[in-house]
Amino acid sequence: MANAYLNGLAAIAPELVLTGFALAALVFDLATKGRDSRRVGYLTLVGLALTSLLLVAQWGEPSRTVLGMVTVDQFGNFFKLFTCASLAVVVVFVLNDRRERRHGIGEYYFLLLGAAVGVFFMVSTNNLLLLMLGLELLSLASYSLAGFHKGERKSAEAAMKYVVFGGLSAGIMLYGISLLYGLTGTIDLAVMATGGTGGVPAGLVGQVSENPIPVAVAVVLILAGFAYKVSLVPFHFWTPDVYEGAPTPVTTFLAVGSKAAGFGALLRFVGVLFVHEDVQEAVRAYGERVGLLIALLAAVTMTVGNLSALRQKSLKRMLAYSSIAHAGYVMIGVAAMTAGGFEAAMYYLAAYYFMNLGAFGFLLYFEGVTGSDAIESLEGLGWRAPVVSIAMVVFLVSLTGLPPTVGFYGKYLLFQEGIAADLIWLVVIAGLNSVISLFYYFRVVRALFLSKPAEREAAQQPAFVGLLAALGVATVFFALFTAPLVDWARRSMDLLSAASG
Amino acid sequence: MDSTLLTWITFIPLIGTAVIMCLPQRALGAVKVVSLVATFIPLVLATVAYVGFDKTTEQMQLVANVPWISGLGVNYHVGVDGLSLPLVWLTTLLLFIGVPASFGIEKAGRAYYALLLLLEVGIVGVFVSLDYFLFYVYWEIMLLPMYFLIGIWGGPRREYAAIKFFLYTLAGSVLMLVALVALRLSSGTFSILEMVDMAQAGALTGANLPFGGVLLGMKFTTWVFWFLFVAFAIKVPVFPFHTWLPDAHVQAPTPISVILAGILLKLGGYGMLRACFPIVPDAFRTFAYALGVLGVISIIYGAFVALGQTDFKRMVAYSSVSHMGYVLLGFAALTEWGMSGAALQMFNHGTSSAALFLVVGVIYDRAHHRDLNGFGGLSQPMPVYWGLTTVAFFAALGLPGMAGFVSEALTLVGAYDSADPRFRILVLLSVIGIVITAGFLLWAMQRVFLGSLNEKYKDLPDINLREILCQAPLLFLCVALGIFPHFLLDWMEPSVRHLVGLLGGAG
Repeated sequence: MANAYLNGLAAIAPELVLTGFALAALVFDLATKGRDSRRVGYLTLVGLALTSLLLVAQWGEPSRTVLGMVTVDQFGNFFKLFTCASLAVVVVFVLNDRRERRHGIGEYYFLLLGAAVGVFFMVSTNNLLLLMLGLELLSLASYSLAGFHKGERKSAEAAMKYVVFGGLSAGIMLYGISLLYGLTGTIDLAVMATGGTGGVPAGLVGQVSENPIPVAVAVVLILAGFAYKVSLVPFHFWTPDVYEGAPTPVTTFLAVGSKAAGFGALLRFVGVLFVHEDVQEAVRAYGERVGLLIALLAAVTMTVGNLSALRQKSLKRMLAYSSIAHAGYVMIGVAAMTAGGFEAAMYYLAAYYFMNLGAFGFLLYFEGVTGSDAIESLEGLGWRAPVVSIAMVVFLVSLTGLPPTVGFYGKYLLFQEGIAADLIWLVVIAGLNSVISLFYYFRVVRALFLSKPAEREAAQQPAFVGLLAALGVATVFFALFTAPLVDWARRSMDLLSAASG
Repeated sequence: MDSTLLTWITFIPLIGTAVIMCLPQRALGAVKVVSLVATFIPLVLATVAYVGFDKTTEQMQLVANVPWISGLGVNYHVGVDGLSLPLVWLTTLLLFIGVPASFGIEKAGRAYYALLLLLEVGIVGVFVSLDYFLFYVYWEIMLLPMYFLIGIWGGPRREYAAIKFFLYTLAGSVLMLVALVALRLSSGTFSILEMVDMAQAGALTGANLPFGGVLLGMKFTTWVFWFLFVAFAIKVPVFPFHTWLPDAHVQAPTPISVILAGILLKLGGYGMLRACFPIVPDAFRTFAYALGVLGVISIIYGAFVALGQTDFKRMVAYSSVSHMGYVLLGFAALTEWGMSGAALQMFNHGTSSAALFLVVGVIYDRAHHRDLNGFGGLSQPMPVYWGLTTVAFFAALGLPGMAGFVSEALTLVGAYDSADPRFRILVLLSVIGIVITAGFLLWAMQRVFLGSLNEKYKDLPDINLREILCQAPLLFLCVALGIFPHFLLDWMEPSVRHLVGLLGGAG
């Protein structure tokens, strides 16, 4: 027994190390009285690197459940590494944020690492309660981060909106979870889906035929909670305001890390409950109807996101709406309700990592130069800061979904899995949406390069520029050599095979 | 011959781009030299390929086939046949001419030449791809350099024209992408040649897709046909998808208009022949007459609108719509003559329209406007220019003895011979287009060069040596291929016969 406990602790070593570094960041900042926040940043990077190493060491291990509720598998591993990688970039952003020097920012890193701990738990459990806890930990940290610029109206407003919306949707989700628990007698997804084991009467299988409507209500309410986290229409209203008001590095984290985590938990929820190979036939059939609902959400989300982005004058708001649209694209893979669809969704998230981190990094860079996030203020800057701007063109091309970039390949995979799952209408809508998106993405390109060279000089931040250039190169490189990312996504599909649960 | 030859032709310009990016901003002279070299080598290699081409077979030649994205079954599969090789050669020629034709461009020269070379990679790539995924990737790669070339170096309304061009083409490519995914799922391969074989065996019906080959009451092949056809028709451009063209042509700088009219429009026609008709031959046969009608509408409409233009460049742009109409008519007729004529017309339009745009560029550089009514009597100060223009005009209006005559005559005779007798009406109607074309060209000639000399322009310098050298090869081809058309036809013949057979047309 004690041995099993120790093994369990060993399995969650990455989480423990991350928590340790979060506390260390806080203590270090207190001890130095906030005078040395750069070092806290470096400490955070070390913590992230160490955690990633531990995660990589877990590579290829069979999926197992420890401590009764934490599932350690490759699927979770994918999202944990994803979180570490995106946080590392965000930390570099913070270190290069020219507006950030005014604020004591030691706690910043503590909150970022705390959010990461939340992500780690929410993507690696079949237990709905632990999922909820992880999600709330992430949310709490995010609320504080969004309002980090205490003195600024917009930032405070953003935090307030975020809290109100977040609290509401967490409540809705909890209500759904409690319904599901009442119906099935378990809070473990795997038990629910396969039914009958461990003294549980029937799991979901009896309920989908006897009480289809309560099950539907429960599932819809839980989906609403996820929809809030990944900002799907109509749960997206907080997104543009919060993204705009929050400090840009925090926005980056919300748009990339937090959103991917939401997708991780959503994929696990849908996957274990409806798509897993052990799932009973009646439940699977029920899941296909859920898939149709998700497809509908996807269609509405991408269309509303793109149409709203058309009118934006602020680059930051535009990217917020674009991130809503991209959540819609990823949902094609979820709606397919197949292993292939999930793989495509995860590849797309990896693609999203490069192109969106890049786009937000560009935003941060130019906020530093112009002090504004208006697209107009970019005019002619492409000629002054060619490296960053060419990288931005690459990111925008990728966001539009044109080759030779990861965004194109991801979109291709999503389209393929969508058509294979009989969702050709959704694929056509997604295709038309990419045409719409070209129009607003290229307003940025037009401002950068099609205007006369600007008078203003570019900022000298070689490390930052280097990071953006590297992201740009990766955006093209992983499209020409897709194997690493595709294999990684495929390996993570142990979520759906017999070994897990 | 070496199977890496096509790869070299495709990627040497990319090396040129990389070299140019490494040169300092001020070294414009070096940039020009690099660009000349990086476009000249592909021209030489393409000529080598042309000379060494085996004219007796319809098989793909110079084939290279290596796995690229193995998880998805995508291969780097390239090769040429009698349909693509002439266009590859034309591309390398026009890009080589495009470099000296651009010497007048001062603004941000380094970026200009880098993008120009990148454009060549995309265009040549499309012509040599035999893998549909690869084909699509090149198809889209082309858009970005074109957007910048029009958008940065274009005329006053360049931003509008650039994004319009991009949006139109992208709308088409999205349709292509959806069709491509569906074809991949149905056939299990990306190889265009394998898809064609499957279509011949009647195996490409989409029956194995979730919707079982019929969607909203329409056959899978019909859907694929229209999706692909529209994607390519936008590029040709076929009426009513042509409205991006006058804007893009007029706003683009002269060398880019040359490339746009000379090659980019051919991509649409070529795409139909390579990657649309033979993959869904049944649907093509069903709608062949409709395509013929669209072709004739383009011929007549383009000619009439050209007649009404006062802007020299806009007139030339609309003449392209008209001339490309013959290509569609020739395809639709489904006879060997019609198909040969159409394929030849694509090449000949490539030379004659390129020459016309160069003509416009020369006068615009000197007078800084293009109003046809604002000149007059220019034959006096610029006699050499007048002479060259006359040749270009006569080539464009299809004077017997010039290349355009051969291809248009072949197309019309082929269309008249079509198994579908309704095509005879179309042929009769398209004669209107020929008459109008002669009309607007001769009228333009009269307004610009004849009549009393406009005093403002009495000291205009005549065409200079650089401009003559740019024109010379194009006009030479216009004349030479009018007298010796078999230098192209012999190359095309086996491929054309094979294609007509695939489509189930009469010999």
